[in-house]
Amino acid sequence: MVDVVSNVTAVEMSVEAIKASQIGMKAIAAAIAISTTAFAAAWAEMAIGSAAVGATAENKDIFGLVLLLTVIPETIVIFGLVVALLLIF
Amino acid sequence: MVAMMRNPAPYIYVCTRMRVRKAKLIPHEEYMRMLNMSLSEITRIIQETEYKQEIDELGTIFSGIDLIEVALSWNLAKEYQKIQEITPGTLKQFTQSYLRRWDIQNILIILRGRMQGEKLGKIKEILVPAGSLDRVILDRLLAEDSPERIVEALKGHRMYTVLSRELPGAKESGSFSRMENELYKQFFSEIIAEAESGIKGGKLFLEFIRFDIDIKNVKTLFRLRADTFEEDAQEMYITGGVLSSADFVNLNLIKDQIEFIDQLKVKIRQKPLLTLLDELKNDKTGRDIEIKLTRVQLEQMERLSKRHPFSIHPILVYLEKKKYEVFNLRALTRGKESKLPEEKISEYLVV
Repeated sequence: MVDVVSNVTAVEMSVEAIKASQIGMKAIAAAIAISTTAFAAAWAEMAIGSAAVGATAENKDIFGLVLLLTVIPETIVIFGLVVALLLIF
Repeated sequence: MVAMMRNPAPYIYVCTRMRVRKAKLIPHEEYMRMLNMSLSEITRIIQETEYKQEIDELGTIFSGIDLIEVALSWNLAKEYQKIQEITPGTLKQFTQSYLRRWDIQNILIILRGRMQGEKLGKIKEILVPAGSLDRVILDRLLAEDSPERIVEALKGHRMYTVLSRELPGAKESGSFSRMENELYKQFFSEIIAEAESGIKGGKLFLEFIRFDIDIKNVKTLFRLRADTFEEDAQEMYITGGVLSSADFVNLNLIKDQIEFIDQLKVKIRQKPLLTLLDELKNDKTGRDIEIKLTRVQLEQMERLSKRHPFSIHPILVYLEKKKYEVFNLRALTRGKESKLPEEKISEYLVV
């Protein structure tokens, strides 16, 4: 009798552990999605930003246009955020 | 390129600036329009472009063609110095190395001018202080009263050894062409050694140097063919390109134009140059060939700058194209002043 109870408890505990681990894995996946896309956006913005500053230094009239181009990589982070939210909820 | 991989921002910044500057250069159509204009109209057009500041500054001292001539030289020098200031890391070193060829040109202008008894002001007008010798040093050299003293004043400079060795011969013969060849040989061997020294990005710089040497050697070969008098080909050969010294001498001995080009094509690897050589088989006018070779060189450099967008190539393309813009404007204004026909002037334009 005691053995049966202890077996049931062990099974319940392992199910709980698996559930907790799944939640943890989802959180890690979401973190990876956000961090990699944020890193990619930062890298892209750095490159576009440098070119934008260079172009603006030569021709001030294009400041508005290059500002717009510089923020375009922000969309990469939004994709990451969407993926992260889908993973968590 | 390691620095570029670690922090590419300054490289991207500078290369983009060079691209924007290149886009601002006078386009082909504008030159064609200028060909139909009078000298005063051309001056006005130049005044409305990037040369405005120099023309305004020098307007009180010079006038007419002299004003344009000096303004163009000042603008070119200012532009080159500005680029040296903004280029980062190894690109700065390569840019400075490339610009050292202006030292050779400036020294030769001073020596030739002084030997021919030209007025100091006239010599100063055509100097472009874009290399390691700045305006102050060049003024000091100009003030020296003999070629020997000019060379002595350069003691410690990398060109001193060649200058002091070649000066007696040049004075005796009255020609500085041998000295010029020796200076360029030294210049190219130094920049090749620099590019091969293991500096990051040196390989790309070397690609440009080798192509430059090839074009120079091919131009010399065509020039030697157009010459009526015999010259020592070996003296004019520059080491570092695809042509070996023996190839150069042997090619110079071939009298038939078609056979010469066929033999040259065996040695050349670059496709655009091969295409041009095919076209040149029946062309015998020396001047036109040189302009066509320069065009091919610029096109090839443009191609390299697109293949390596954040390297030394976009900077070199701009430096070369800017140089030819000044050459073109000078040819246009001088041609107009001498009342040359438009077709004749257009032959001298590198567009």
